Amino acid sequence: MDFKHYLQVLKDNTPYDFSNYSDNSIKRRLQKVILDNGLTIDELLDKTQTDKGFVERLVEDITVNTTELFRDPEIWPQFYEKLYPALKGKKTFNIWHAGCSSGMEVYSNMIILNELGLLEQARIFATDISLGMVRQCTNGSYRYEFNKKQLSDFEDIIKKSPIQGISKIDFNKYFDFDLENDRINIKDFLKKKVEIRQHDLVQEKVPFYNKFDVIFCRNVLIYFNANLQSKIYQMFHNQLYPKGSMILGNHESLTGFYKTKFSKNGPLYTKTNVFHFKYQ
Amino acid sequence: MVRPKYKAVVIGGSAGSFSVVSKLLSQLREDFPLPVIICLHRLKHVRSGLVESIRLKSKLEVIEPNDKEQIMAGKVYLAPSNYHMFVEYDGTFSLSTEKPLNHSRPSIDHTLTSAAYVYRNKLIGIVLTGANKDGAKGMKDIADKKGLTIIQDPKTCEMDTMPKSVARLIKPDKVLSPDEISTFLNQLAI
Repeated sequence: MDFKHYLQVLKDNTPYDFSNYSDNSIKRRLQKVILDNGLTIDELLDKTQTDKGFVERLVEDITVNTTELFRDPEIWPQFYEKLYPALKGKKTFNIWHAGCSSGMEVYSNMIILNELGLLEQARIFATDISLGMVRQCTNGSYRYEFNKKQLSDFEDIIKKSPIQGISKIDFNKYFDFDLENDRINIKDFLKKKVEIRQHDLVQEKVPFYNKFDVIFCRNVLIYFNANLQSKIYQMFHNQLYPKGSMILGNHESLTGFYKTKFSKNGPLYTKTNVFHFKYQ
Repeated sequence: MVRPKYKAVVIGGSAGSFSVVSKLLSQLREDFPLPVIICLHRLKHVRSGLVESIRLKSKLEVIEPNDKEQIMAGKVYLAPSNYHMFVEYDGTFSLSTEKPLNHSRPSIDHTLTSAAYVYRNKLIGIVLTGANKDGAKGMKDIADKKGLTIIQDPKTCEMDTMPKSVARLIKPDKVLSPDEISTFLNQLAI
């Protein structure tokens, strides 16, 4: 059975559609899952159609859930150089983390918002395809050892290039450190503020009715083929307020048609003015 | 016009390979007719600097590609920090942040294996100095697809673990010093 056939079975029997993921990478990860589980093709097909728990685990395994606290630390001062002027002075603003994985970037961003005195006005939304990731995001509990270096790198970065004057952050305000159990636990006041939902970007249905000032979607669309990427860019364009911004991964860029719908503004892609035709 | 026998060169290296790659790119002729795809291990938190330093001496344009970027002849592509870099069947790169392979992201095996499947016997694979075994499996895939395999002569390596791991899995077509590698590649351009 070739992997495209399997993806069709998955699509027909579950809510998950991976048929427009990049061929090479989805094939490779699918093969690994099959190998790791020691399944025959028949067992795989059977479990896919009958075992919901298996399907959830499979989705978690074939999607990529890499994230870190303050991932790419050097980029954060650049985000806020562009975002801060647009957000300060607003009564409320909405931020969507699309493909939030375990939520580390969601909380990293909230910490910066709080330091800048913007957290109260912010409404934070986060979505991920995987139920397991949605749970981890809700729990906000991460491995300390894994993040130790990131946190100190981030401290070094903002000492050198402060974020709107912020050059030091007291992490004790945001985390309960439980070093004995190798945990960093996010404090409740941050966790309570995020609205988290399971949502698959591929379905192209919008998860929230409101529009957004900022959409974070870093290193998520790289797993999709170019055709699906375009559809998601269109959806983000529709869901952004005029002059709202989309934040992609460091090595993602818009091509073709969508280059004209967003203007590149440092590491941000900002929705350009759209002409509206008036019918008289 | 003579059709070139090869379509791409893919190079992997780790400890000690920066100066080898830097010199190689200074020696490659300006009209080198193939894309040169390079995957070097780097320190995860030293983000910038590598591509700039490599650019200094290279006669060819050096790019850290974005996801879905088209692969062009005569350009040098360096796997960006903290991403795996794959060659896709449609002649583009795809990037991924899935977990490190052989403790590395970028992983040389990922780049070499994906290139082996796409370019098959039209690929030249080169593994340089390095202190681990990343790249060995990828070179085996290149050999399996009848591509040309070259390792840096272990006698000229700062760390010879990487080329030696390749030689344990396959018999490389050529074992060359850094200068011999650039001479060989430049001959292809004639």
